[in-house]
Amino acid sequence: MTSLPVTSNTSGKTRGAFLLDRGVGPLLVLPATILVVIFLVGPFYYMVYTALTDLSFADATRKGAFVGFDNFRRLMRDDPLFWNSFLLTLKFVVVAVAMEFVIGFALALLIFKYVVRQRLLTTLLLIPMMLAPVAVGLIWRLLLQGDFGMVIYYLRAVGLLAQNAAVLSQPDLVFPAIVAIDIWQWTPFVTLVMLAGLMSLPRSPFEAAMMDGAGPLRIFLDVMLPLLRPIIALVLLLRGIDAFKEFDKVFIMTGGGPGTLTELVSIYAYRVNFRNWDLGYGAAVAFMVYLVVLILCSVFYKAVYWSAKPSSGLPAGAKP
Amino acid sequence: MIDRAASRPWTAFAWAVLLVAVVVALTPYLWIVLASFKTRVDLFSSAPKWLFSPTFANYPAVFIGKEYWPLAINSLIISLSSTALCILIGAPAAYVFARADFPGKEDLFFFFLTTRMAPPISIAVPLFLFFTSLGLIDTIYAVVIAHTSFNLSLVVWMMRGFFAEIPKEIDEAAVMDGRSRLGAFVFIIAPLAAPGIAATAVLCFILSWNEFLYAFILVAFEGRPLTVGIPGLVTPHGTLWGQVAAVAVVATLPILIFTFLVQRQLVRGLTFGAVKG
Repeated sequence: MTSLPVTSNTSGKTRGAFLLDRGVGPLLVLPATILVVIFLVGPFYYMVYTALTDLSFADATRKGAFVGFDNFRRLMRDDPLFWNSFLLTLKFVVVAVAMEFVIGFALALLIFKYVVRQRLLTTLLLIPMMLAPVAVGLIWRLLLQGDFGMVIYYLRAVGLLAQNAAVLSQPDLVFPAIVAIDIWQWTPFVTLVMLAGLMSLPRSPFEAAMMDGAGPLRIFLDVMLPLLRPIIALVLLLRGIDAFKEFDKVFIMTGGGPGTLTELVSIYAYRVNFRNWDLGYGAAVAFMVYLVVLILCSVFYKAVYWSAKPSSGLPAGAKP
Repeated sequence: MIDRAASRPWTAFAWAVLLVAVVVALTPYLWIVLASFKTRVDLFSSAPKWLFSPTFANYPAVFIGKEYWPLAINSLIISLSSTALCILIGAPAAYVFARADFPGKEDLFFFFLTTRMAPPISIAVPLFLFFTSLGLIDTIYAVVIAHTSFNLSLVVWMMRGFFAEIPKEIDEAAVMDGRSRLGAFVFIIAPLAAPGIAATAVLCFILSWNEFLYAFILVAFEGRPLTVGIPGLVTPHGTLWGQVAAVAVVATLPILIFTFLVQRQLVRGLTFGAVKG
C-alpha cells in the first residue's frame, strides 16, 4: 500500500470523512441493520419468548400461556428423543469433521508439494461442495438404491458390502453412510482452505529449520503446524458449526430414519415444530441448537479474529 | 514455502492419490448427469451402465409434462432479487465499515457475523408465523426477504475486506477533486472494487439458489424454487429417477458454471474473508 502525504488522519480529517463518521456513515449501515434486526434478531427473541410458553397449534387449549422453564425442564429430564438427537449430532460433527480435516489436510499437503499448476485440480475438487445439499441428498439416494445403486454395486464387487440392501434403510449402515456423504461433500473445503493457508506461509522459518538440519517430520510438527494453527482453528470451527446445523442432506436422504437413527437435532427440531406443531417446546429445542452454535461461534471469533486490527477490515490473526 | 523438488516415485504416488480423490469427488455427480439421459431400462439395470444410447425424454417429461419449469423460474427470480438487494444494501454498509469510524462500529460488525451463524431451524418458526401474519406466506417475497437478510452478513463481511484493500488515499483524492464522500464511493471506489463486488454477488446467488430450509418452510406451492420441488419427485415406490436426475442437473449446472468464474474469491467468501484463496 502506498501512502501519499495528502491529509493526515490524526488531526485534520477531510470534511467527507467527518461526515462519514458522524451522519452518513451510520445512516448507510442502517438499512442492513434494520433488515437483519427485523428478520433475524426479532425472530430469535420471539423464539426465546415462545420457549417459555406452552404455545401449540395442535392443541387448541394451549394458546401460549407463560409456563416459565417448564419446556426446558421437560427437555432436560423427560425427553430421550432430544438427547438421542443431540448426542447423535455431536457424534456426527466429531467424526465427520475429524475425517474431513485429516483427509482434506493430507490432500492439501500433496497438492502443495507436488502440483505446480493447481487451478484445474482445485476447480474439480470444488464441485461436491458447491452442489445444492438437496441435490447431494438425491444423488446419494440414487447411488445407494438397493437393487440398482451404482455405489452399492461396486461396494459389493470389492466385498465391502455383504447383501444387496438399500444402505439408507439399514439400521447398522445408515449413520456411517450419512457421515461418509458429509465427508464426501466437505473434505474439498478443508483442502482448499488449508491449501490457501499453506500458500501464505512465510519461507524463512522453513529455511532456518532446514539449515539446522531438521528432518521433514520435525519441520512439519515444529514449524508448519504452529504456523498453520489459526487456519486449522478456523477450518475446524467453520466446519463444526456447519455440521452441527446439518439438515438438508440428511432430511432428504433419510428424513431422520429409519426410526430415529439419523435424527440430527435440527431434524428433531423440525419434527417437533412442523410435524407436531408443539411450538413452545419446539422453540426450546431450537434454542438449544442456537446455544451450541453460539458457543462454537464465540470460540471461533476468539480464535480467529481476536488479534484483528480494528480498521484493517481483514483480521490480522487469521492470515499468518 | 517448502522445497518442491521431489523424487519421481513420490510424485507418482502423490498424483495417484490425487487422481483417486478427483474420481471420488466427481463420479457421483457424473453419474446423476448420465442418469438424466437414461431410459428406465438403463437406469434399473443391476450392473451400472456407463455406455448407453442416450434419451432426451426426461427433461421435457419433467419440466413441461410435470410443469417444473416455473420452479426453475422461481429459483432464478428468488436468487437474482435477493442478490441484488444484498449488494444494494450491503455494499454501502461494508464501505462504511471499511472506512468510517464511529462508536460501536466493531460491535455492530461482529453482530453481523453472529446473524450469519444462526441456525435456520431455530428462527424458522417465528419467520413462518411472521410471514403468515404479513400475508406473505407461500409467496416468493417471503423467501427473497429471508435470503436477503441471511446473506447480508456475508456481503458486509466479504466486501469490507475488498474495500479495505483499496487505499484510503484514493477516496481522499476524489474528495479533494470536489466529489462528495458518497460520490467518491459510487463513482470511484465501487468501480475499483467491481471484481470483489461481482464475486460477492455470485456467492450470494449460489447460496440463495442452493438454500432449502427457509424456502421449504416459507413456500409450499406457489413460488416454490427447484430445491423445494425436487424432493416431491421421490416417491416410496416407482420413483422416476431419470426425471429426478434431470431436475437435479438443472438445479446444479448453473451453479457449477458460476463457481468456476469466481473460484479465486470463493475460499475467501466461505471463510468470512479470513483466508484469501
